[in-house]
Parts: sequence; C-alpha cells; structure tokens
Amino acid sequence: MAIINQATKELQVKIVYYGPAMGGKTTNLVQVHDHVQTAAGNKGKLVSLATSSDRTLFFDFLPIEAMTIKGFKTKFQLYTVPGQVIYNTTRQLVLRGVDGIVFVADSQYEKMPENVESFQNLVDNLNSLKLNLAEIPYVLQYNKRDLPNAAPMEYMEYLLNNREVQVPSFGATAHKCEGVFESLNMITRLLLHKFINQSVPQYA
Amino acid sequence: MATLPQLIEEDIRHLDGVLREFIASTEAMATLIIDKGGFLITQQGDAHDFDMTSIGALASGAFMANQTIAGLVNETSFNSIYQQGENASMFVVNVDEHCLLVVIFKSHSGVGVVKYYAATAVKRIARQLKIARERTPESGLDLSVLNVAETAPLFRKKKKA
Repeated sequence: MAIINQATKELQVKIVYYGPAMGGKTTNLVQVHDHVQTAAGNKGKLVSLATSSDRTLFFDFLPIEAMTIKGFKTKFQLYTVPGQVIYNTTRQLVLRGVDGIVFVADSQYEKMPENVESFQNLVDNLNSLKLNLAEIPYVLQYNKRDLPNAAPMEYMEYLLNNREVQVPSFGATAHKCEGVFESLNMITRLLLHKFINQSVPQYA
Repeated sequence: MATLPQLIEEDIRHLDGVLREFIASTEAMATLIIDKGGFLITQQGDAHDFDMTSIGALASGAFMANQTIAGLVNETSFNSIYQQGENASMFVVNVDEHCLLVVIFKSHSGVGVVKYYAATAVKRIARQLKIARERTPESGLDLSVLNVAETAPLFRKKKKA
C-alpha cells in the first residue's frame, strides 16, 4: 500500500492500469508522459518492458509527481499490466501494493467478452493477493470512443459498472489524449479521499 | 495485505546510516531499500548517476518474478538475485516480508564482498523496521492537511503552443 514517509513528508502511491489486451493501457501512460505539465524534474522516464512488436511484456512504469498537495511531496507511480491472457502471473506481480486502479476497457462491440473476462481476472487476482476490489478505489475508462463500432456508453456501464456501488467512468480516446487526464485525476482524488478518511493511514 | 510500518525521521536516519556504512565497506556505487511493491524507501550513493525510482520499480519486479520461478521449481524462495554486467552489477537481497536491499556495484569489486556485508546490513535494516512496526502500529500521519478540494486537477495537460 501507499508509503507515507513522515521523515520526508512524502507520499508514494501506486496506480495500476488494468484491462484487456490492446485496450490502450500503455497509450494512457504515453499520453500522460507526453502531455503532463510538471515542474522541472517531477516527471520520470517512461519505462516500457515490451516485446519487439510493442506489446507489453512485463509492465510499463511512469513515476510522476503531482503538482501541489499541501505540505506533501506526492509521488505517483503509474503501472500498466500486460493484457494478454497468458501473462497472468505478471499481472499478479504488478498488482502487489496497488493503491488505485484505472480499468481501461475497449469500447468495440466485439471486445466486450474480453472486457468482462479481464475485469473478472482483476477481481480474481486481487483476491489471490488477499485484496478486495470493493476496498480499492478504481475508475472505469471506456476507450476507443472514436471507433465506428464503439458500443454505447450505457451498454458498457451495464456490463462493467453494474454493482451495488457504481464507480466514476469516462469515455476516452486515449491516442488523442481525450479522457486520459480525467481518469487519472479522478483516481487520484478517490485515493486521497480514502487516505484522508481513514482514521488509520494504510501504512505508512 | 500487511503493510510496512510508518517510518519516522529516526528510522530513515538509522537506515541511511546502515547504507552509508555498507557503501564504505563494499565500495558499492549505490544502494537502495525498496518496498516489494516497487516503492523506493531510501537510498545512498551516487544517486545523480542513476534513475533510482525506476531502478527500484524494476528491481522489485525482477526479484518478485524470481520468487514465482522459485515456486515453480519447488523452492521456497530465492533469497537473492545477482545480475552481472561488464562494468556494473546488481545484487538484490530479501530483508523481510516487505522490503528488499538493492546494491549497484562495480563488477570488478566482486559479489563476494557485497554478499558478505549485505548479510549484516540486512539484519540491521530488518531490526529497525521491526522497531518501527512495534513503536505505535496504530498511529498514523495526519493527512487531514491534504485538502482534496484544492487539489483538483492534480495533473494538468500542457497547453498547446
């Protein structure tokens, strides 16, 4: 869980982008890396452990510092997981210590079974780490809204956001940087609310 | 999932002292204490030469991947991993349930001396983390000073030129 270092007044938070293969998780990180406005030195390098065909092999990693949080140096570590089904062990590794999740779903009609399967896989992997999705802040991002075969948002909400407690969701066209910052800011806000509302901070 | 204890200034000062002594003994280039989730807790050495945050995240990933391999070959765990390079090498060793010690050192130094002194350093680091855990496990940092209403949007898009 998040590291809160009293000595340096530093808060470190891990956000994982999860979702089916080719859904746009890495694109989200690339867009954040390319477009985020930061003070000098507050944005780290985007590290991608990818195959020669640019498919994520292990994870992508982007360390970044938020612009202003009163009195605290707040460092965010953004990770993606490999979406391909065979890399499930890797996904479990990346989820270790997760604080918040952005689930990136693919809006194309034919990808719906993969979206649902990936979401269930997320729940299962969290359970294997003794974590419960209901206790972890997450947001849903319906990516590829610009494609002609994109399913209506209402349909995606019915499929993926149909639980007792509904979470914030965003339509996105990640390659145009639409919906990317909205999703990131919302998960960040949810995380900070969680930290503040907890009478006992997660750990630090 | 259990988590690390809250670290106060005294803890960090002690951990940094252990790392400094370790560097003096081994002539390592840099050394880091990281969380197994990939967070950098503290570091000493030539931080300017390396991207320590990325090294921490990647070293943790590599170590944890090796733990999975250990399970696949019916081994309880691989306690450490060693990557040998032409000029620089890396040694990662388990500290406790949550933490790892990462050492970057010149390859010609040899891993033997690093492993030898790491054994002592690991014990001292683990002891300090235990002290932190037992200090006041229920106490936490007051985060009420974080005013979320003032933080949005935390991340802003650069304006187009």
